[in-house]
Amino acid sequence: MILVVGVSHRTAPVEVRERLSAGADALPVVLSRLAARPELDEVMFLATCNRVEVIALVRDDGVDAGLDAIREELARHGGLAEDAELAPYLYDKRGDEAVTHVFRVAASLDSMVLGEPQILGQVKDAYDAAVAAGALKGMLGRCVSRAFAVAKRVRTETDIGAGSVSIASVAVDLARRIFGDLGSHGVLLLGAGEMAEAAARSLSKGARAVRICNRSFDRAAMLAGAMHASAARWDELEQELVHADVVVASTASRTPIVTRDMVKRAMKARKGRTLFFVDIAVPRNVEPAVHGIDNVYVFNVDDLEKEVARGLETRRAELEPAEKIVDAEVKQFLAWTRGLEVQPTVVAMRAKARAVLIAELDRTLSGRLKHLPEGDRAALTQMMESALNKLLHAPTTKLKARAAEGDDAGELAAAMRYLFDLQGIVADRQEQAARAIAAVEEEDDEHLPH
Amino acid sequence: MKLELLADVLFGATALAYFLASVLFVAFLFGRADSAVRWAPRLVAVGVPLHAAQICVWSLFLHVCPVQGIHFALSVASMLVCLVYVLARLRLRIDVVGAFVAPQALAFLLASRFVGGVDAEPRLRSALLPFHVVSNLLGIALFTLAFAAAVAYLLQERRLKNKDLEGMDRLPPIDALDRAEHRFLVAGFPLLTIGILTGTLWAREIEAGGVGEITRAALSYVSWALIGGVLLLRAAAGWRGRRAAYGTILGFGLTVLVMLLYLARSMMAVPAA
Repeated sequence: MILVVGVSHRTAPVEVRERLSAGADALPVVLSRLAARPELDEVMFLATCNRVEVIALVRDDGVDAGLDAIREELARHGGLAEDAELAPYLYDKRGDEAVTHVFRVAASLDSMVLGEPQILGQVKDAYDAAVAAGALKGMLGRCVSRAFAVAKRVRTETDIGAGSVSIASVAVDLARRIFGDLGSHGVLLLGAGEMAEAAARSLSKGARAVRICNRSFDRAAMLAGAMHASAARWDELEQELVHADVVVASTASRTPIVTRDMVKRAMKARKGRTLFFVDIAVPRNVEPAVHGIDNVYVFNVDDLEKEVARGLETRRAELEPAEKIVDAEVKQFLAWTRGLEVQPTVVAMRAKARAVLIAELDRTLSGRLKHLPEGDRAALTQMMESALNKLLHAPTTKLKARAAEGDDAGELAAAMRYLFDLQGIVADRQEQAARAIAAVEEEDDEHLPH
Repeated sequence: MKLELLADVLFGATALAYFLASVLFVAFLFGRADSAVRWAPRLVAVGVPLHAAQICVWSLFLHVCPVQGIHFALSVASMLVCLVYVLARLRLRIDVVGAFVAPQALAFLLASRFVGGVDAEPRLRSALLPFHVVSNLLGIALFTLAFAAAVAYLLQERRLKNKDLEGMDRLPPIDALDRAEHRFLVAGFPLLTIGILTGTLWAREIEAGGVGEITRAALSYVSWALIGGVLLLRAAAGWRGRRAAYGTILGFGLTVLVMLLYLARSMMAVPAA
């Protein structure tokens, strides 16, 4: 059974999440400790800024032991007291619920910012680390790799990633709608606050040049050094407006610092070239009347937040179709896993029937029919193979169908093992799964499109 | 007979390509098919060689030069519009301008079948006529694209000024539209100048002097001055964006009016073939 144990932005404060997180150095350590636990057959450790989760495969009769093992390792890794400091924030999911959770996480349906694209890369990194550590061997690996396909499907078939959902991304989006490629345009940062820095960092990617203009030139120079930009003096602001195309304003000034008259003069010097202001300061740094000048566009923090809200609304509207895709994929995956449970019986039944028939055929061909030419022998062998396939087709498909439908196919499989005397073929559940996965490597592609 | 059949087949194939492109553009603009904007320009690109072949085959069949007579003028103009669009979109981000170009090309192509005669009036035949028609048709093709870019610019600009950004990403960035509009005007203006000069000389040659001719000539001069003024003011006084777009639309409107007067005169002079 697949288990998920962890904390996320919904259940735990950042203080807890950051203690459980694992960077590049710590990840192999925690992963190897988890993989060494005999209670866990397969395991993966996912750590992002919003969640820390252990995803594991355990034997059906070892769920409680598996959960305890994961909790212990998490507490040890985070240096937290298991009962007092960790347990209140932990959640666990089992079986179908765990598979659904893994698919939803990869598809970014459980993210703090719905539809954000980074999570898929983070899950892939966690998967690669687990594979490299030898901690993913079969069923869980298939589940996670299936989650990648589900995430891709959700992104392709819905607009879950549409729209901009942060002030910085809206500003970049608007700049692109105005200028297209920013490669030949300059960005001017007014003020050196954190908000402006974040927006300017996004805008400066691909921009021709970034200038930073601040009342304190030293502060501007310091930030410019960190951003591969150049600093401008405050009294040269009007001159800077002539050369910049995108201006991000975020000073703490109580009165507007960019006035209509100033921009009109700048526009004359610019020969009417388009100028775009992103005013994220409160109170506003750019006079509202500036927006009325031809070829000048001013978007303040309310305008940007309106766009953020619209982006989020668009994504939320896509949640339902996205959930439907996840549900369908979970059902398909679970049907596949149930098919695995009966697969060893099917394989053994076919192998035994074939062995018996081949032995009988060989005896006959080396006895009474030894005079038969090679062509006739081949025809007899082919006839036997064909008859075998036809004979076993019905029990094979019926057993698989019963398993896929979710009915308990265990009894039926046990009856078949009893009737065909296949008792000793599978005892260990893990061995069963591994053998079944190998046996249906080709077959499952038909049922689980990638 | 075979040439006629071939011309008809090419006509049908061209019309089909333009029609499908128009449908895809409309579907894209109404948000029904985001991938349509990738395929629609390709259909226009498919239509251009078919259209050019149709014009060649049809002129061979009729033994008429394609730049003489209004019958071909419409067809050649629409083909040139599409050709300029297909070439321009390689450098400018104006794919969606095809939403205007494709239906217009289809309309002109169909109109070429039903409007005017296949040959110029004998009275109007002159050595200057091919230069006059070719430069005017190329000029109109470029002004058509400038007009489409100007309309798209105004739509985008209004959305930005009203801060109503929904659907804005369906059209190109306004800066790209402004640049495209300017480039089409710059390319079209010398052709318009040649068209007006040859038209003036031609009118003197055939001693045209009716009210219609004078009105048409006057409108031509006004449209030339208007488009020249738009270009001059942009270079000298930074007239970009909205004002340039309105000037372009007005200039294009006047050139179209001149063309319509020409068509009307041709229709009255020569019964449809």
